Parts: sequence; C-alpha cells; structure tokens
Amino acid sequence: MSVGIEHYVILSLALFCIGLFGVLTRRNALMFLMSVELMLNAANINLIAFAFYHGNLTGQVFALFTMALAAAEVAVGLGIILVLYRNFRDVDVTVPSAMRW
Amino acid sequence: METAFELAPAIVLLPLAAFVVALLVGEYMPKKGALAGIAATAGSLLLSLYVVAAVATGGEHQETYFTWAAGDAFSETGESAIEFTFGILLDPLSALMLVIVSLIAFLVHVFSLGYMNDEGETGLRRYYAELGLFTFSMLAFVVADNLLMAFMFFELVGLCSYLLIGFWFRTESAPSAAKKAFLVTRFGDYFFLLGVVAIGATFGTLAFQGDNSFVAAASDAIEGGEPLFGFEPRTWVTITGLLVLGGVIGKSAQFPLHTWLPDAMEGPTTVSALIHAATMVAAGVYLVARMFGYYALSPTALAIIALVGGFTALFAATMGVVKDDIKQVLAYSTISQYGYMMLGLGVGGYVAGVFHLMNHAFFKALLFLGAGAVIVLMHHEQNMWKMGGLKDKAPVTYYTFLAGALALAGIVPFSGFWSKDEILFDAILVGLNEPIFLVAYAMGLLAVFFTGFYTFRMVFLTFHGEPRSEAARDPHPVGWNIKFPLLTLGVLALVAGVANLAPVYKLTGLEITYLEFWLDGQYGGYADLTYTAYGDTVPFGTEYIAGSETITLLIAAGLGLGLAVAGAIFAMVLYNVPEPEPHTENLGSARTVLRSNYYQDEYQVWIAENLSLPLARTADRFDQSVIDGVVNGVSSVSLFGSSRMKRLQTGVVTNYAALMIVGFIALLLVLGVLGGWFV
Repeated sequence: MSVGIEHYVILSLALFCIGLFGVLTRRNALMFLMSVELMLNAANINLIAFAFYHGNLTGQVFALFTMALAAAEVAVGLGIILVLYRNFRDVDVTVPSAMRW
Repeated sequence: METAFELAPAIVLLPLAAFVVALLVGEYMPKKGALAGIAATAGSLLLSLYVVAAVATGGEHQETYFTWAAGDAFSETGESAIEFTFGILLDPLSALMLVIVSLIAFLVHVFSLGYMNDEGETGLRRYYAELGLFTFSMLAFVVADNLLMAFMFFELVGLCSYLLIGFWFRTESAPSAAKKAFLVTRFGDYFFLLGVVAIGATFGTLAFQGDNSFVAAASDAIEGGEPLFGFEPRTWVTITGLLVLGGVIGKSAQFPLHTWLPDAMEGPTTVSALIHAATMVAAGVYLVARMFGYYALSPTALAIIALVGGFTALFAATMGVVKDDIKQVLAYSTISQYGYMMLGLGVGGYVAGVFHLMNHAFFKALLFLGAGAVIVLMHHEQNMWKMGGLKDKAPVTYYTFLAGALALAGIVPFSGFWSKDEILFDAILVGLNEPIFLVAYAMGLLAVFFTGFYTFRMVFLTFHGEPRSEAARDPHPVGWNIKFPLLTLGVLALVAGVANLAPVYKLTGLEITYLEFWLDGQYGGYADLTYTAYGDTVPFGTEYIAGSETITLLIAAGLGLGLAVAGAIFAMVLYNVPEPEPHTENLGSARTVLRSNYYQDEYQVWIAENLSLPLARTADRFDQSVIDGVVNGVSSVSLFGSSRMKRLQTGVVTNYAALMIVGFIALLLVLGVLGGWFV
C-alpha cells in the first residue's frame, strides 16, 4: 500500500482540528500558542504534500517561509505572554477582557 | 461724443472710490472723508453733464462690460440662451437721471459739512463711506441696461438706506426704523425678484433696449397670440409687470407699503434729502419709467399704477395735515408726490411723470435741506410748535424754503406747478375717455388742496409769527456750506419748470417743451425708448371737455391752481398769526385717525402677529416634528442597533476565534450552496 495524497490531507486535517480545538478550549496562553503552531504546521504538511504531488518546489519554499514566520510569531507571542503575566499574575487568556467597547 | 460714453463708467465708479477711500483712510483725512465724497460726486456731476451734452448732440450708447453667467434657457418664446450681464444704457432718460442724482448727492455732501461736521457728530467716517456707497448704487441702478442688474443695485440701494437710516444706532428708534424700512421694502422686492425670474423665463432676455429686449419680445408675443405659461400673452405681461411693480411700490413708498418712509425720518436729515429726492424712493418710479414700454403693453397694469398713485397722493396728503414734526410733514409730502408721478405714468404721461420726478428731486431736496438748516438753527428741535419767527433771523433759509414750498404746493410759476399740472392734465384727458381714470384724477386733484394746506401750515408755523421757544428767539447761525446748496436748489425749484412749459405751448404754439423733445429722442436716443414709441403702445384714448384742448387745459390748470391757492390761503388764515392755535384739534376723532396714520402700522402689525406668526409657528412645528423627526428617527434606530451589536465584542480572545471560525464556515456554506457544490 503506497502512501497517497489523501493520507497527507487527512493527517493535515486532523492536526488542524486538534489545533483548532486547542484554540477554542484552552485558557492557558502557552497552550493557546502551541495550538496555533499546530494549525500552522498542518498547513505546512499540506503545502509540502501538494508540492511533492505536483512535482515542483514552490510549496516547499512556501513551507520554509511559513516556518520562519512561525518562529517570528512565537517570539512575539511569548513576548505578549510575558507582559500578560506581568500585568495579571496569570497567563489565562480569558482574564484580560477590557479591550472592548 | 464717444469720449463721454467711454468715460461714463467713471460716473458710477467715482463714488465707489470715495466709499473705499472714506472707509480706509477717512479717519485721518480733514473733514473725515467728506472731501473725497464731494470730489467724487462733483466729478460724477461733471461727467454726467458731459454725457447729457453727448446725448443732446445725437448720441446714445449701450455697452456690455461683463458677462458673469451665460447658459441655455428654456424660455416660453423660444429663446435658447440667456446671458446675465453688467452693462450701461445711456439714453435721454438715464442721462437726465444721472445729472439729478449726482447733483443732489453733491449738494447733500456739501450740506453735510454744515449739518454733520460742524455739529460735532461722531462716526463721520462711516457716514461718508455709506453716502458714497449709496450714491454709487443709485448711479449704477440708473445706468443699468438690464433688469437683473437693475434689481441687484435696487437691493444695494435698499441696504444703504438701511445703514444710513440707522446711522444713530445707539438710540432706540433709529435701528427699529432702519429695520422697518429694510423689511417693508424687502417685502416688495421679493415680488420684484419673482418678476425678474418670470420675465427671464418667459422671454429669455432681460435687456431694456433693442430688438432682443424683453419689451420687444413681449410685444411680439402679444402680436403672435401664442399662450405664455397657459395665459393670454397680455395677461401674462400684466402679471409679470405687476410682480415687478411690487418692488416699485415698496421702494417708492406707495400704498400699502408706504409705512416705512415716515419712520425713516430717524436718519440724519441730509440722508432724508438724499433718500427722498434722488435715490431710494426715486428708484421705484425711475424703474417704471425705464421699462415703461413694458407697462404700456398692459392697460390693466397701467390702470393699477394710476389708481395706486392717485390714492396714495390723496391718502398721504391727508396725513401730512396733522403732523407737528417738520420732517414728518415732508415725509408724507414725499409719499404724496411720488403718488402723483405714478398717476402720471399710469395714464401714459411718460413725460409728465419724469418731469415731476425731476422737479420733485430739486424741490424736495431743497425742502429737506431747508428743514435740516431749520433744525440746526433750532438747536436740534423738530417740533414746529416750538419754532416760529425764523423768517427775519434766517432770510436765506426762509426764502429758499419758501421757493421749495411754492413748488411743492404747485403755485405758478414754480417748477412743481408745471409738472403737477401736466400730470393732472394727462389724467383728465384719459379720464374723460375711460371713467376709471377719472377716479384717480379726482383723488389727485383733491390732494392738491391738502398739499397746499399742509405745505403752508409748515411754512407759517416754522417761519412766521412770534418765536415760541428760547431756541427760536436765539437761533444758531448757519454757514456757507448750508446756504450754498439751499441757494442752488432754490434757483432750480424756481426755474426748472421752464424745461417743459407744455401749457404755454398748447396755448400759444411756441415750441418750448424741451423735456418732451428730449425724452422723445429728438436730440438723440433710441427709437424704441421714446415718448412717441410709448405713446403708440399705450392703449388709452383721450377726450377733451367740449371738444377743445384749450378749454380743457384752462379748466384743468385753473382747478389745480385754484385748489392749491385755496389750500395755501386757508393755511394762511389759520396759521399766519402771531400766536397760532393748534386748529387741527378741532377735527376731533378724524384727527385721531390721521395722527395714527389710518392705523396702517397697527393693521400691518396685526397681520404679522395674527397671520404670519401662527403660520410661521405651524411651519416651525412641521419642521421640528416631521422633518427633524425623520432625521432623528434614523439616527436613533442606528444608535439602538449598534448598542446591541457591540455586545458581540466580549474582549475574550477565545470568543473572537470562535466567531471567526463560525463566520468562515458560514461563508463556506453560503458559497457552497450558491456554487452548487452540494448538488
């Protein structure tokens, strides 16, 4: 049994859904950030799988860009979490809710 | 000749320059800007005389200087374009009026040196600036070659008289009089504006003169017989003519819009002289003369002009009988005299009306300046019952004032007699043919008696008898700057009648009716703006008593002169005594009615308070509730909606993520359903 494109897509779908579930349910900011990373990597799997499937390198190059972006995002995200902790003595994302009307 | 016409714009612009100079540097000039005004009006006068000379040697001039808007028009008569321009029209009528206006303005400026500067008034810079602007607007109105330009300067004239009537704005009465003058004349001008729009929309042109004038277009339309806006052409001409007449009635203080004029006496007396003789009030009658060809097309409009004029002449004269303030008497005499001019024009007596306009300008300016001199003599007392005995102490003022009074009363050979007689003669000729005009004539004739009476009541109370107050026993001296204008105008009041001795011509055949020749374009002028051209258009026939012109003339002149002399003698018997009694008190309740000016102010206030005010309130309520209600409703709906919508934002980041996902899924579903993925 060879590994077809559909297997990669299902894997990527599962990974994305796990990430989404995490974003919607977790209150800890670190878990939140990790869930976002999962969703990003689900997209990466898709990009690489389709690049392989089509036989060109465009998707792989984009995956590299996404990883660089994810690294930057983690840096910013961790910065925000640090400030969050400094202000609220907590990293619960539901606590700071003053940024609204 | 061409030079005169090329210089003509300077006639108008010189007073404007005086206005600017007085406004900017008047405070630093000797006499506070008076000299600039005197120089400018003297220049205007000389140039006007030059223009008269050019017209007299066979010239006429029409030139457009500036087209400030031009465009397509959908006019009733098929003109497809309309232009709004500034231009000048110099013909016998406007040249004559230019001389009158600049002469009176010049003399008023000179007189102001004595009346304002020497009396130590404050605010002189403002005074002279406004006088300059006033003269400028009137001169521009006089030379206007189209109706819209005439309207614009008509309005400017109204604004200037508002400013000048309210010159002493720190008193209580002057600002209120100024407001009244402005509002009442504005009410008339509103109709004028409608008339301008109607004429422009009908004929696609607003020019006074030439083949493309609205007069020629109206005449063609009447001949063609095609209906205009669903009316008979002649009816439509009548309607538009009467709309324009609204402005005339307001400005020339004809019944029922005359109420502003007596109150306008709150201004300085010099301003009254200018307003009454040459500018504001004269503007109305001048406009009728300017577009006389248009009114000549409509017998109804002419009849209304004649009846309003005749009625106003009598109505105002009766009120003048009981006034105690010297300026009030003169104010009512002005209303009455302009009534005569309207009567003259209404019966087709174009020359007679313009003749009286000219003579009246001279003798009324004289009388007002004379009254100003009396007020200076009397240390600013205006009540005639506190005067008396000024005859010997101020002979120059007395004799010039007397000349003006004789002209006003219409006593031969003073100028007023000749023009008033001509108006009444024209009126009786038409009246014998069309009885409706006989009514107007009868009112005008009766007014002659009252005119003679109130004029000489004023003269005797002011100058004759024993002095009745300390000021009258020891009058303040007056200088040359007061005497010079009085003497100039006094001579003119005596001799101006020579311009058109029509009765002499009719009796002896001597061809000395110069003004008639002048206005008939015999020296120069446009063929469509002459007395003969108007006479051909005016639809009234004439008739003579016993079929003889001489008999009619003698009867008419005899009646007029007899009544004037009777009025004067009656006044002399009652008031030419050392200690006159207030005889008008014997009139009882009639005096009360007259003193209250026939309750004209009261009923106008009543109309304003009981009709206009509730109407305005209703309109205001409609505006506040319905119009504003809709606007406020829309905004409160959106306010309420957004106050609910904002609750979507919780501030919890998880909710935002959930919403984004739900929204994305919903979008996907919608696109899927629309794109047919699920089929």
